Amino acid sequence: MTPDGKKTALDAVDEGPRPSEAPSASPAGSSGDHPAEHASVSALVERFGDAVLRHSVAAGDQHVVWIDASRNLEILGWLKDDPEHRYDMMSDVTAVDYGGGQTLEVVYQMFSLTHKRALRIRCELPLDALEIDSVVGLWNVANWLEREVYDMFGVTFRGHPDLRRILMPHDYAEGHPLRKDFPLRGRFSRAEQTRRALDQSIEHSYLPEEIALGREPQEVAPVVGTLDSDEGDEVS
Amino acid sequence: MSRRTVELEVGGSREMGVDGSPVLSPIAPFDVPEPEIDTEHMLINIGPQHPATHGVLRLVCELDGETVKKVTPHIGYLHSSFEKLGEYRTWNQIVPLTDRMDYLAPLIYNCAYVMSVEKLMGIEVTERCKVARVICMELDRIFGHLLWLGTTAIDVGAFTPFLYAFQERERIYTLHESLTGARITTSATRVGGMMADLPEGWTDGVRDFANTFPDTLAEIDLLLTNNQIHIGRTQGIGAIGADDAINYGFTGPNLRASGIDYDVRKDQPYYDYETYDFEVPVGQYGDCYDRYLCRMEEMRQSVLLLHQALDRLPDGPMDVQDPSITLPSKTDCMSDMESMIHHFKLITDGIPAPEGDCYYPIEASKGELGMYLVAEEGGTKPVRWRIRPPSFVNLSVIAKLAEGHLVSDLIMINASLDIVLGEIDR
Amino acid sequence: MGLRKMLPGGGTPATTGGIFGDGSPTFLTSKLDFIVNWGRRNSLWPMPFGTACCAIEMMASAASNYDLARFGMERMSFSPRQADVLICAGRVPYKLAPVLRRIWDQMPQPKWCISMGACASSGGVFDVYSMVQGIDTIVPVDVYIPGCPPRPEGLIYGLMMIQEKIRQESLTKHYEHRAEDPRLVAQPRANAVEVAGLTGPFGNSTQQDQLSSGEAVTEDAESEDLIP
Repeated sequence: MTPDGKKTALDAVDEGPRPSEAPSASPAGSSGDHPAEHASVSALVERFGDAVLRHSVAAGDQHVVWIDASRNLEILGWLKDDPEHRYDMMSDVTAVDYGGGQTLEVVYQMFSLTHKRALRIRCELPLDALEIDSVVGLWNVANWLEREVYDMFGVTFRGHPDLRRILMPHDYAEGHPLRKDFPLRGRFSRAEQTRRALDQSIEHSYLPEEIALGREPQEVAPVVGTLDSDEGDEVS
Repeated sequence: MSRRTVELEVGGSREMGVDGSPVLSPIAPFDVPEPEIDTEHMLINIGPQHPATHGVLRLVCELDGETVKKVTPHIGYLHSSFEKLGEYRTWNQIVPLTDRMDYLAPLIYNCAYVMSVEKLMGIEVTERCKVARVICMELDRIFGHLLWLGTTAIDVGAFTPFLYAFQERERIYTLHESLTGARITTSATRVGGMMADLPEGWTDGVRDFANTFPDTLAEIDLLLTNNQIHIGRTQGIGAIGADDAINYGFTGPNLRASGIDYDVRKDQPYYDYETYDFEVPVGQYGDCYDRYLCRMEEMRQSVLLLHQALDRLPDGPMDVQDPSITLPSKTDCMSDMESMIHHFKLITDGIPAPEGDCYYPIEASKGELGMYLVAEEGGTKPVRWRIRPPSFVNLSVIAKLAEGHLVSDLIMINASLDIVLGEIDR
Repeated sequence: MGLRKMLPGGGTPATTGGIFGDGSPTFLTSKLDFIVNWGRRNSLWPMPFGTACCAIEMMASAASNYDLARFGMERMSFSPRQADVLICAGRVPYKLAPVLRRIWDQMPQPKWCISMGACASSGGVFDVYSMVQGIDTIVPVDVYIPGCPPRPEGLIYGLMMIQEKIRQESLTKHYEHRAEDPRLVAQPRANAVEVAGLTGPFGNSTQQDQLSSGEAVTEDAESEDLIP
């Protein structure tokens, strides 16, 4: 503040950015409806009642709905199949760890190609029960996306066909990296990390079913005739 | 198994089946009698160090002879934990990280990230900044597609398009360098604007590029598009139907090649894209050849967009005139104390954000790139920075696409998906 | 032999040694060195171990504008068995480390290694749980090229430094130049103490350790968690 009470640039820095009054013409990720309304949100509340925990509008016009994590498959399935909503494209499945013992949230970002609407669904999970149903049956894209959430956060997806680490080595022993209690440089010393990295056999880098291939030597059935009369002289 | 049926397909007979998946119509199937041999499937490991995997990708293939029975991609060989690192960096400090993810089209990532931050904070950038960012994004769309073109041609066996494409890329490198000082790792954007205004003569350079690039593209087109070898290697290979493509999460040219007209620039438009006059190429059969055609046409459309954007580039400030976001000018910093303190505070503390989250999708050269940011009240760093990587999702489909094809087709399919491992592994 | 020993002072090693001398160059070896080194340095076959952004600059160096072919290096050998110089271009996570080591072990002598870029040299921007903080903890490096990414001219300069290094090599110092302990195949190049020294956080890395909530720096694992 200047002596006569005028605001200076430094005061503005302290206060933070002013959101601009004029909304942008067609902001990306918006529902297209009036920011206060979203067709799917009202339908969700109407149909699923108390499984819809809360709703908010983020970043001006992006609708976010928190649902009961135990009913995610049912609710997301309905959102996908119902012709009024038809969220046929699952853009992203991820998770957010707020740290400090708070819950971890699994976030689904969906888009409807037919209705050109986007919606974000969040499911809270308690840190001691990081399990939720997998939506791979609805959208195949969730296969790798859920594997990454498992790898980075430790969330188990029930019913996932192939839940194993994807970005970290499959026997990574330091934990789940994107959790807030995981230190930036990892839990082991660099020397230990180097040693573990190099201390591997070739087979270590293959899955068990891959190793099982090519194990048996190729057997060639001999194409020889059998002697009619003499069984004892059969060549085998 | 003792008999193999060999199906021949000569280009031109690509039909779509009832379920939307293409059907290879055999011209002259004939049986090749083989002796009775019990065979086992063979395990082949491709990568992670391999010239044709376009990065450190590992493909473990189960082969029956040359035919791929099953392929499992293994990724993570370039995992640099950008998302974790982002949690320890202020909003503007993350911009240099974004170049290093998709290093083939860095300006697109720079723009995508700050666009998401600006939406989270409710900041509206200036008109000049919007058009400048559109120019940057379209320039880098061409940039990324050129590398795809060069490397895919090499995978097919054609070396010349690689050299032509890289020569054009050198021109864009020069443009990057004059804009930002760096060829690849541009870090051109900042929250609320760009790192600096466009240098003098830069728009002339872009205009010159946009005028002469279509000729080179036509030359490469002449080499590849109607080339029977290229057609034979790409038509009918790695086809995917429309419904499957959506369900498996394809976006970008891969999705459009299967016949779905989804382009984030048209369907969730940003930066006045709905006022530009351009077309989005949509394919039909969803095979490698259609993906090739889609990307070639996209490059031509990007040139049109460049011309339009250059025509409408307004004068005015590049950065938003909000002292809590934009740094003061260097002249002011060096001459008065208050500006210097202002500069210092913005750099060391960062910009405080409102609470909330924001998912901002844009059309990157690889597909739908979404930056998801979660911030806490007054936070100068993100609580969570998530990149929705188009190549990650595109690559996951390779197991389905490559089944039944030959190993060499697997390489072609991998090339046609246009993946970049930096983005996949983040 | 005997005659030389009659020289005053018993002769120097150069004069008393055999055809290759006692570890010092002789006239014959220096001529041979010249020819061998000239041949080696002008026909290096690089093994491009390109991972990330630096790999793109390496490709740009090989393309028409910067043209590695004029150095004899256009034949990028993707098989390590036929390669001379390993150019590690790009960041190397721990998951990729055994692959790098195996590629290095598969290269036959004489071989050299270039660490291209900041990430390969020291971990670069990525002082994180998954990134090798410098490939010199894994393979012996001859030339480090700084930059993020280094310009093609930088890569060319680094290659010219390798050429200079080769020019100064000598057959008589064969074991010095080619020293590699076969027992160390597939093992880290540096021992634990060296790794700790080479990979400790420094500079900005030590100060940019706070989360948004301003929580205290998440301490790296304490000594009981660290396995030394």
